Amino acid sequence: MTTLPTSFSTGTAGFYGRARSDMASLREQAETLQTQIGSQSRLTRSSDDPVAASRLRTLSRADSLAKIDTANATRATTDLNLADSALSGITDTITQAQVLATQAATGTLSADQRASIGKQLASIHDNLVSLANTRDSNGNALFGGTGASSAYTLDASGRAVYTGTGSSESLPLSEGESVTRSITGPEFLSFKAGGQQTDIMATIKSLADALQGGVADPAAAARGTLEALGTGLDAVSTAQTVVGTRLAWIDVSTTRATQMTEARASEQSDVGGIDLASSLARLQELSVVLQASQASFTKLSSLSLFDQLR
Amino acid sequence: MSADLLAIARSGTRAARAALDVTAQNIANASTEGYVRRSVDVAEVSASGTIGGVGTTTLAGVRVSGITRNADALRQAEVRRTGSDAARATSEVEGLKSIESAVEQSKVYEASVAFEGSLKQLTSDPTDGSLRASVVESGRTLASTLNVTAKSLDAVGEGLRFDAQDGVSQVNLLTSELAKVNNRLVRAANSSSDQSSLLDQRDTLLQKLSAQVDITTTFAADRSVEVRIGGVSGPKLVSGNTSATMAMTTATDGTLGFALDGAAVTPAGGALAGKGQALTQLADTRAKLDTIAAGVIAAVNGAQASGVDSAGQPGQPLFSGTGAADIAMVATSGAQLATAPAGAAAGSRDTANLTALRSALTSANPSGQLDAVLFDVSSAVAGRTVTRDALVSIADSASNALQAQAGVDFDSEAVNLVRFQQAFSASGRVMQVANDLFDTILGIR
Repeated sequence: MTTLPTSFSTGTAGFYGRARSDMASLREQAETLQTQIGSQSRLTRSSDDPVAASRLRTLSRADSLAKIDTANATRATTDLNLADSALSGITDTITQAQVLATQAATGTLSADQRASIGKQLASIHDNLVSLANTRDSNGNALFGGTGASSAYTLDASGRAVYTGTGSSESLPLSEGESVTRSITGPEFLSFKAGGQQTDIMATIKSLADALQGGVADPAAAARGTLEALGTGLDAVSTAQTVVGTRLAWIDVSTTRATQMTEARASEQSDVGGIDLASSLARLQELSVVLQASQASFTKLSSLSLFDQLR
Repeated sequence: MSADLLAIARSGTRAARAALDVTAQNIANASTEGYVRRSVDVAEVSASGTIGGVGTTTLAGVRVSGITRNADALRQAEVRRTGSDAARATSEVEGLKSIESAVEQSKVYEASVAFEGSLKQLTSDPTDGSLRASVVESGRTLASTLNVTAKSLDAVGEGLRFDAQDGVSQVNLLTSELAKVNNRLVRAANSSSDQSSLLDQRDTLLQKLSAQVDITTTFAADRSVEVRIGGVSGPKLVSGNTSATMAMTTATDGTLGFALDGAAVTPAGGALAGKGQALTQLADTRAKLDTIAAGVIAAVNGAQASGVDSAGQPGQPLFSGTGAADIAMVATSGAQLATAPAGAAAGSRDTANLTALRSALTSANPSGQLDAVLFDVSSAVAGRTVTRDALVSIADSASNALQAQAGVDFDSEAVNLVRFQQAFSASGRVMQVANDLFDTILGIR
């Protein structure tokens, strides 16, 4: 009321109208609080606090994308672990081939014994090819890059030929970070021996062929291969180190992502959450005020001069 | 002399009777809309004779000189002016809230984020059929939520325009009523009860009119009113017994235009102005939504065209349409997603084109833009709500001030009732005294 106290008088309709709007506004405030408590959120619609609402949208977007990052990290971890164990198997197999080549390199063996070693080496070659064709968690070629088929196929002469693509795909981990989920076959199976680009399977295959009567002096061939096998083993061990480093990187990235998620959750509750204690206290206060105004309205409205006049 | 006394007492009872009638009328109309409290004006009836320069006074009682309508023209004008502003702000906020609900409750922002997320997830295994299907489905969801948002916005626009059309018809009805009231006011006798009720009608009509458009009023000596839109030099809405006809036009973008007898007019206050403002914001939001939809269509279809799908065929468009209302997912299976670059073999796991698609979508930034649209609308709602609350409380206090002066108060009417009853009894007592006097004189023996 902006009128001066001297001219202050209220119409009866005015009194009822004001009482109605006052009580309606109190009830509305109480209901807003109740909604906030029920939904555990300070905002029922964006216009309650546009800036906070926009921040909450950005946070929830980051959250849902981070969930995908976590799933990607899990996939990458699985694949890299698979790659790691495949590489261990390959290392064991090459070591086995080294032992056999060393045996074959001694001149005291008979041709039959060498042929038998040659046969063993041939089966080691087959093992290597199947290890190189290991599948990843999605059933695709683990060491085949982004190709659709197997990493290695055997050609007409029984030699393993790489049929994958040049590089492995990389998975995004979180904003700006990514990890290469595997390595391609040539990255750890191919190496240079005697100035020539070759791969471990070709080396073992030729030794097996040589020991089974392919060349005139098999022992010399075996001696010549020993060095190449050593280089090949080094290449595989290096690859295993790379895989281990990538796994460690995923760990770091995942830890950071978890911390970010926690930070976002705490900001979300700061920006959009409610303080239950203070909201309940405020609701209590409002209901007391509402009860009081209802009581005073009842009292005032029953005060009529007409009742007093007889 | 005693005959005079009787006459005076009779006039007293008549005046008290009239005052009681007015009090009863006030009580009966306590909650009648637009009723202004009446009070009785009484005046002494006397004549002075001047015979031979000697002044004598003739006492002849009291008469009812008129019935006053306790209306304060200034306060009424304030109520109309502030009411216009409050009505404008209220209808604008209502309109903006509907726009906000349409954009927010369709969850279009969430759908856009889900589409982005599904594309990101596809990078983990681009040949996975279920991940591909999830991209197509979340794209379809994005398209249909954009459709729903556009439809809801259009529906909000329809509603606002319907209301505005109704407001225009109301204005025309009210102005023609005002012209009729003006016509009758010219003929009504001064201070008659007919005039009072006509004035009540006139003021009620003006108040209703001011809720629709902002008006300026000029009152003539015969109490008829001239109404203009806007300021004192605005176009005439009502003048004497003629009223102008208001018309509404809708532009192609759904915004409103008003005309008075064919000449364009822009109301600055009242519900019509508020609806017009809300519709302008609606057209803006709708255009932004169309831009966002067009951005998504261009980014996705453009990237699709430069890659090959899982069968090694050149990528076909994923979305059809040109805007928010008609965007649709046309791909029928996830295999149609061109994740691999041109030249890649069928079933390739190369994600180069998927990466290109994702970065095209990142630069189109539909989620960010939708956030901006929501922020624009919601901050407009928040800001205008503050203005509205202020204007409504100003209008309320103006209306309270008018009520305090023009409204009926039961307590004071009760007091009046007692007062005039006593006056009536007192006049009756005077009659008794006159009778006693007459009897006394007759009783002299």
